[in-house]
Amino acid sequence: MIRVRATFEKCGRAKYISHLDLNRCMLRTFRRSGLPIWYTEGFNPHPYYSFALALSLGFESSCEILDFNLNEEMPYDEIRDKLNAVMPEGMKIIKVAEQKQKITAITEAEYSFSLVSDDTERLYGDIEALLGMPEILIEKKTKKGIKTVDIKPSIKVMRCEKNDRSVDMVIRLPAGTQTNFNPTLFIDALRNCNGAPFEPEKIRRTGIFCENNEIFS
Amino acid sequence: MLKDLIEKHLLEVQKPSRYIGGEVGSVIKDKSKIDVRFAFCFPDTYDIGMSHLGMKILYSLTNERENYWCERCFAPGEDFEAVMRENNIPLYALESLDPIKEFDFIGFTMQYELSYTNVLNMLDLAGIPIFAADRTQELTQIVVAGGPCVCNPEPLADFFDIFILGEGEEVNLELMDLYAEMKKQGASRDDFLRRAAHIEGVYVPKFYHFSYKTDGTIDKITVSDGAPEVISKRIIKDFDKVFYPDNFVVPFTEIVQDRASVEVLRGCIRGCRFCQAGFIYRPFREKHTETICKEVKCLCENTGYDEVSLASLSTSDHSEIDPMLTALLDYTVSERINLSLPSLRVDNFSESLLEKIKKVRKSGLTFAAEGGTQRLRDVINKNVSEEEIMNTCRIAFEGGYSSVKLYFMMGLPTETDEDIVGIAELANRIIDLYYSIENRPKGRGVQISISCATFVPKPFTPFQFEPQDTREMIEHKQKLLLDSVKTKKIKVSYHNPDVSQLEVILAKGDRRLCKAIYTAWKKGCKFDSWDEYFNFEKWMDAFADCGIDTSFYANRRFEYDEILPWDHLDYYVSKEFLIRENKTAHKSVTTPNCRLRCSGCGVNKKVGRECF
Repeated sequence: MIRVRATFEKCGRAKYISHLDLNRCMLRTFRRSGLPIWYTEGFNPHPYYSFALALSLGFESSCEILDFNLNEEMPYDEIRDKLNAVMPEGMKIIKVAEQKQKITAITEAEYSFSLVSDDTERLYGDIEALLGMPEILIEKKTKKGIKTVDIKPSIKVMRCEKNDRSVDMVIRLPAGTQTNFNPTLFIDALRNCNGAPFEPEKIRRTGIFCENNEIFS
Repeated sequence: MLKDLIEKHLLEVQKPSRYIGGEVGSVIKDKSKIDVRFAFCFPDTYDIGMSHLGMKILYSLTNERENYWCERCFAPGEDFEAVMRENNIPLYALESLDPIKEFDFIGFTMQYELSYTNVLNMLDLAGIPIFAADRTQELTQIVVAGGPCVCNPEPLADFFDIFILGEGEEVNLELMDLYAEMKKQGASRDDFLRRAAHIEGVYVPKFYHFSYKTDGTIDKITVSDGAPEVISKRIIKDFDKVFYPDNFVVPFTEIVQDRASVEVLRGCIRGCRFCQAGFIYRPFREKHTETICKEVKCLCENTGYDEVSLASLSTSDHSEIDPMLTALLDYTVSERINLSLPSLRVDNFSESLLEKIKKVRKSGLTFAAEGGTQRLRDVINKNVSEEEIMNTCRIAFEGGYSSVKLYFMMGLPTETDEDIVGIAELANRIIDLYYSIENRPKGRGVQISISCATFVPKPFTPFQFEPQDTREMIEHKQKLLLDSVKTKKIKVSYHNPDVSQLEVILAKGDRRLCKAIYTAWKKGCKFDSWDEYFNFEKWMDAFADCGIDTSFYANRRFEYDEILPWDHLDYYVSKEFLIRENKTAHKSVTTPNCRLRCSGCGVNKKVGRECF
């Protein structure tokens, strides 16, 4: 059994494929590809595969991670090409490689988005003010109920740029098996400031990282 | 662009992937190179419509032609409809995301009567005039319909330009060819309709005029514009060679029938007297085992589905069923594909067949017994004896099954209280049988589920003349059945009789109903087949507003010599045969299946050869 890791893009119309549907979709993609996919050996054999992080419905991504197993060794590029030949529109395997790190090594994910507004000047000020607050409390739904969390210490702003029609941001948030913060938490917190009206657009996951800013691979 | 507007609101609604297309297997073409654009509309939601095999066949078939482009269109869910209306998003097709009002053909498949209001709603959402008479004389937006319900299309006559009778594989392309030719010549809509009316299987309702007697029955049907007196349905003569898609559009979201599906036979040899499909799809034709195997393999490889089902009215009637299953299982087992076999009959359920089925599924078995007593089963020509039912259950129980689901109908012609009590008694005998079997499943109790539908008499069946039971009669029978069941090992469920009443009115109605359907839709009726939307009161108000006496259609016996609303349509089965069968039914006498003996339904005369 050969373990491999695919990095793929989920853009355009494919961003409307929910995580649950993505599972079914990959299963069928594997079958169409004709790759020698490894099946589990239990009572109900099924292909083994797993996604590193779930992606919210409506988000694009250029860095999704899919792990799966093959029965026999094959050149990575051939695996990539066979899958890309039968992938749905908007989904593309960027590379296939070995599984270097464990999924549990993931600590952060990076997101880019645009906040479209008629008054970017004021919106930019609102963002600065929000980020300058000692704490940013948000209500997060968990399995145990609604919990109030301070996301302030977890937000890393990588970029915040004021443009003509939008403020464009890149932020990093905790991700992985322990804590997962969705960028909509930050966007909702900004909306709750009741400042300049805005609409978020083009939310895209642009990177998955481990300790020490190392790109997960 | 419409796409941007759609995307702006898509995340506000449930299951957005239903509204944006882009699925594997969907066909994208360059519209500048297209002569005819066809919007294939299913008047229900994506989840249901995408499961429809006919759409998959005609979609692929049309798209094989380089200069024609067939796209899909479904009824939006309530949430998305609200978004569309609020933001002026017209109904669009899923491939190009172009509004369907720009298309040459807007084609609906009419699979069940309770989807009629959805057609009106979709036309309205599309911005296409709902009444055919209000559409432009320009040659565009031809609104057509096909499917089983168009065997009596009269209640829809005001809304459609054309009905396509019978199987669409050939006639659809002929119609599009004529359109392409006449479009180039700059012909008008009426020019086109007049010529189209001469294609076999094409019915242009506006050329047919009904007059009524004082008692409400039809006086005569007059024909204008040189259209033919009688319109015949179309059939595919060589079914083994008929086009079959080598790929399906594979949805992202889960749909009702989320699997590959291969049609193994068309038509039915049985002649159950209540069953419309059993008559309108005649003659019986089957595909060879090799063809079926080839199609299964091809579809599974191209779609990536890990489940395939064999589609037909009665799969076990295929003359090569055993070798076919052996060959199919060879492939599916090695490729880890589930093979599912709906539509099996009780009377030819062999042990070897069960062995094969057991390999493919572990869930319960479902049998359609339809009637509770032998007398009633003889009336409806369900040629199944109690011995066969018992034998099948025995084989199933010995094979490890402990639950059986039985389908029955209530309100069948000649039915008495005895027949209803007979349903419970039959179930009781099956329970006794279970406990009499030594090698029954260990440590498990038996579970019999009884599902009771209300009988709906349908056009082109021997029971087309029959009245439906009134609501009071059905309620009495439902109560009687519940009172007759005295054990928790039997579970009873039944359909809402109001739904069945609306179904019969729409199924047996005439042109005077168009107004009522329009009124019901105006009052807010849509998705009538969905329990949560069905509103019988609004429908009854609509009928009352239009001065329609529903019992005239639902609870009246149609006379043999009466002109029926569908008498000008020829579905190959002769009216004389249907009358003969109706009389035989009332004598509780059965008619053997077509393989045993030809009963002279008239189909062979139309086809020009014997069926067997």
